[in-house]
Amino acid sequence: MAAPRKRTLTRKPKDGAQPPPAEPPKPFAALDLGASAIRLVIAEGEGDNMRVVEEASRGVLIGKDTFTSGRIGQPTVEAALQAIEGFRTIMDTFGVVRYRAVATSALREASNRDTVLDRIRVRTGIDVEVIDGSEENRLTYLAVRESLKALPEMAAETCLVAEVGGGSADLSTLHGGEPAHSGTYAIGSIRLRQSFAAFQGTPAHFQRLVLRHIKNVVDDIRRELPLDEVKHFIALGADARLVARVLGAPESTSPTAFPRDAFLKVCGDIAALDVDTILVAHGLSQAEAETLAPALLVYSELVRATSAQTITVSNATLRHGLIFDLARSEAGLGLEMFSRQVLASANAVGEKYNYDAKHARNIANLALRLFDELKSEHGLDARDRLLLEVAALLHDIGLFVNLRAHHKHSQYLISVSEIFGMSRDDLLVVSNIARYHRRGLPQRSHIPYMALDREAKIVVNKLGSILRLANALDADHQQKVKNVRVRPEGGVIAFEVEGVGDLTMERLALLARSDFFQDAFGRRVIFREVTRGES
Amino acid sequence: MTPKARPKRKAHDPEIFFNRELSWLSFNSRVLEEVEDATTPLAERAKFMAIVTNNLDEFFMVRVASLKNAIAEGDTAPDSAGLSPAQQLAVVKEMAALQLKRLHEISERDILPSLDGIGIRILDFHDLDASLRSGVLRFFKDEVQPVITPLGIDAARPFPMLPSLSINLAVLFEPDKEKLAGEARLGVVPVPAVLPRLVRVPGADSTYVRLETVVMSQLSTLFPGQTVRDVAAFRVLRDAELDIDDEGGGDDFLSQVEDEVRGRRRSQVVRLDIDGKVSEALLTQLVSRFPGAEPLVYRILGPLDLRLFFQILDLPVLDSFRDPRQRAQATLLPAESADLFGVLSRRDVLLHHPYEAFETVLDFVKQATADPQVLAIKQTLYRPASDSDVVKALVAAAEAGKQVTVVVELTARFDEASNIRWARRLEDAGAHVIYGIRGLKTHAKATLVVRREPQGIRRYVHLSTGNYNEKTSKLYTDLGLLSSDEVLGRDLSAFFNAITGFSDPPSMQRLTMAPMALRIRILSMIDRERRRAEEGQNGLIRAKMNALVDEDIIRALYAASQAGVKVKLNVRGICCLRPGLKGVSENIEVVSIIDRYLEHSRIYHFFNGGDEEHFIASADWMPRNLDRRIELMTHITSKEAVERLSTILDWFFEDNQKARVLAADGAYHRRKPGKGEEPSRVQMRLYEDAKNRADKLRAVPLTLEPIKRDAKA
Repeated sequence: MAAPRKRTLTRKPKDGAQPPPAEPPKPFAALDLGASAIRLVIAEGEGDNMRVVEEASRGVLIGKDTFTSGRIGQPTVEAALQAIEGFRTIMDTFGVVRYRAVATSALREASNRDTVLDRIRVRTGIDVEVIDGSEENRLTYLAVRESLKALPEMAAETCLVAEVGGGSADLSTLHGGEPAHSGTYAIGSIRLRQSFAAFQGTPAHFQRLVLRHIKNVVDDIRRELPLDEVKHFIALGADARLVARVLGAPESTSPTAFPRDAFLKVCGDIAALDVDTILVAHGLSQAEAETLAPALLVYSELVRATSAQTITVSNATLRHGLIFDLARSEAGLGLEMFSRQVLASANAVGEKYNYDAKHARNIANLALRLFDELKSEHGLDARDRLLLEVAALLHDIGLFVNLRAHHKHSQYLISVSEIFGMSRDDLLVVSNIARYHRRGLPQRSHIPYMALDREAKIVVNKLGSILRLANALDADHQQKVKNVRVRPEGGVIAFEVEGVGDLTMERLALLARSDFFQDAFGRRVIFREVTRGES
Repeated sequence: MTPKARPKRKAHDPEIFFNRELSWLSFNSRVLEEVEDATTPLAERAKFMAIVTNNLDEFFMVRVASLKNAIAEGDTAPDSAGLSPAQQLAVVKEMAALQLKRLHEISERDILPSLDGIGIRILDFHDLDASLRSGVLRFFKDEVQPVITPLGIDAARPFPMLPSLSINLAVLFEPDKEKLAGEARLGVVPVPAVLPRLVRVPGADSTYVRLETVVMSQLSTLFPGQTVRDVAAFRVLRDAELDIDDEGGGDDFLSQVEDEVRGRRRSQVVRLDIDGKVSEALLTQLVSRFPGAEPLVYRILGPLDLRLFFQILDLPVLDSFRDPRQRAQATLLPAESADLFGVLSRRDVLLHHPYEAFETVLDFVKQATADPQVLAIKQTLYRPASDSDVVKALVAAAEAGKQVTVVVELTARFDEASNIRWARRLEDAGAHVIYGIRGLKTHAKATLVVRREPQGIRRYVHLSTGNYNEKTSKLYTDLGLLSSDEVLGRDLSAFFNAITGFSDPPSMQRLTMAPMALRIRILSMIDRERRRAEEGQNGLIRAKMNALVDEDIIRALYAASQAGVKVKLNVRGICCLRPGLKGVSENIEVVSIIDRYLEHSRIYHFFNGGDEEHFIASADWMPRNLDRRIELMTHITSKEAVERLSTILDWFFEDNQKARVLAADGAYHRRKPGKGEEPSRVQMRLYEDAKNRADKLRAVPLTLEPIKRDAKA
């Protein structure tokens, strides 16, 4: 569940085909089904030695359908199928077997998305994964980080990375070059254009109307992201790149910085034009021209909400992040999880709800200690370890709402938070882990738990029960337990606890809360106090 | 110059543009000069006769047909030279008549007697001695009569659909005495096109009779009991403009073209050639039978259709009357040719055909076919030879399980039937055969080979100005580049993705594609030269092409000339630009080279303030190339190739043997060597150069050269 999936194609070998030679690097592919185009990148090589071999793109207006009628119409589905079929042929040209195909908001929000995904799978053999805003942000960050290597001075201050797509605007703030906050907001250019589709009037009037709406959303964003601290603004996306071209930037892969006023002026000038003029002046398609003005208005309002004096336009894209990610995994590093950035972002959420940072960290340490000690018992991986850590950090944030049933409030708050690098599915798991740190065990009536798939339920059971025990070990929030060892002894697991002072309360709590653990691991828990040095 | 900054276009500027049809006829006339030139060897003159005939035929079937259609549709709009379609047709008709007259007069007075002089006789049946006739008559009985269908024409039997370019006999009979209405009746005998036009006379060496005269001698057998009043051979040329419905449903483009080719037989007659001795009565009868607009009628002196010379060109008797043989030279050492991927991974290879062997290109495709590391081969095929090695190699590659993608242009004029055959064969072998983009002919000539190497994917390209056709590669001058440059490979890959419909048109670095970007790119480079000249820098544009017609480009060149840019153009055929006009084009020079090989390469050179740029391209500067075709222009960057291109261009402008200079009045004048100037003939120099290179190659002792894979040439 949690980790991004890599996929492998089954290829039909032609009769008489030569067996592919073994030594050369195998190319891999990234596909991105966006709101206005489907794109393909093929690369080969590992990690930093990655080299892009091929790129292709086909304009398919999925977003226009989804954001107008909530579903993707037949002609658009057919166009998408044709595009992906063609890409499959290109992938075959290079002998691509490993790939990752992702779809963003335009497909995510379509009511017929499952049918569409199935038709793609049946017709092209390509398995498309619908990702959410936070995974989008993670992948985009990967590409941004690549392109920011050229600009080390920016890393020192707070940056806002903004990409206005067709469906939504994806925003992340970076501190010291690392993501701190991120969020996805429904002010995408196609969505804005379609929301006001019925509008008939002058471009100026249209602009006022759209602007009022954008301003409202930006005010909301200000509550979640520290926009006023932002010193640098990094704009991504085709519309931002067009502004860069108008400002005379060369067609290159390196990011280019522009003064705030110049950037805002071009945005304003273009947004004031009517669609036909935009279309002719900038050599765009009808679809591109229609959504340019709304996109630039969003960029402008975001820029105005910050104190950034320079706007850096970067060529970083989701698909390039995807391909970097795959190249990393090619090098045997596994898909990058950004543990540090995830935890920074989780702590930011904790601070928002006035959590007890010390207790949270202590519980996290204890939980991780147990997780590591129990490795042979639970068989979970590093990604799951990260989920546990986030759940441990945030398990008490429900206290912000009410002491009573605070585990349920924690669950809700986590499930609706934005944590960099955590997908919606991840957060559902994390929120359930946090919920079961105290009180009742999972039951059929617990809808959020029942909504998980079987695999995720097992993860919640194992990690939830570990968190529950870790929490017991700091029952009075005094951080008395200094170390824990776990010894499986036949049918029981002995918890050897080393601490300072009287550990009676911890012992009682541990035994009282071992119910979940016994269910999940099938072992009884015994508590054994040891003194330092004793093994 | 941006299109906006262009001087305001007038409706037409007759004073600064030449009419394209007249310019074409002028080109054909220059080819005719080569026939008239007594220093041209006899076999070559006979060949040029056939070529001029063929060119004129195509000109009528396409250009004249479209003029006639324009007139029929009531189009009176003048072209850039200020002539309406009707006015153009009137001049074309006269000029073509003069050319046909010239052509057939040379044939009668010079070529046929000269051939006779060396023992090749092309005769009328009636000229045969009685002793030789019996053999021919036996041939008639056995071979001709079974496939012949004489047709009587009357109200009940309408005039038959005679195929374009076919030769037929028109027969006028004495009126039927039995019947009351004593009107002469008409008969038509199609001369079978399946049989050779020239019939070898048994018992006589190198002696032929024209098939139509044999048939003519046997009219009494074909029309028993009729009295023939007059008989004349004639031939019809029909409108051959393909008119494929690009919008209408029907996804089977292939069968659409098949239908179209069959349908061509039914289209309107544009021109009628008839034996000059025909009676007015027969001619009137005949012409009145054609449906639709009246054809242009030409009375021909001597044999019709001088393409008949093609049939005798290979006779050994002619061997001492040919241009000295020029063998295609080797470009690489045999060891290198055997390992092209190895060579290309180190350096680019520029090929100049026919001076250099086309085999290198064939080797490239064949080695790609055989190499197990090659994953995919993609190629455009516009006019492959009828028994094409390229196609065979591609078929083999597809059968071997490689991904083979072939973009076949079915609508290559007059070659559709042969293209359809290849397309089917490739499809059967499992290749992806793509019939281009609707409404746009795929005219680019490119091959892409994707190879998996230990360091990763590497792409090899061949980009050329000429078609993948072994036969024409021996007759047309063309340039090709073989390279493994990464940028070129990526560009060409993107190009194929775009034309196969897998991707939207990309932005490219070293390639420029028509119809999207090429016109804009050329205009902007011309304009860049103009701006530099206005800033006081030297401006120079050199361009070699087959035809210069595009009005926007011509206007841009005028603007550049006015700014002081030196413009040197080598335009083999049509040129609508009027050079040497004061205040308009005095800095523009136009030269046309007509020699033994058909000039076909396109080379463009822009001085660009010293940061010079050289290109080879599949496209001429014509609206049809820039707007209605898929074309490619390749930026040549490797030092050695650039230097060679530059030298090639130098030589093209130094020719004083086969060069004709276009004057402001539209006349072409032979350039003669100036005082103290050596004679210079560019095609000869290029051949000598290729030979020297090949000799040098052989003279180099075989020193072992360590192969450094990553070293760049």
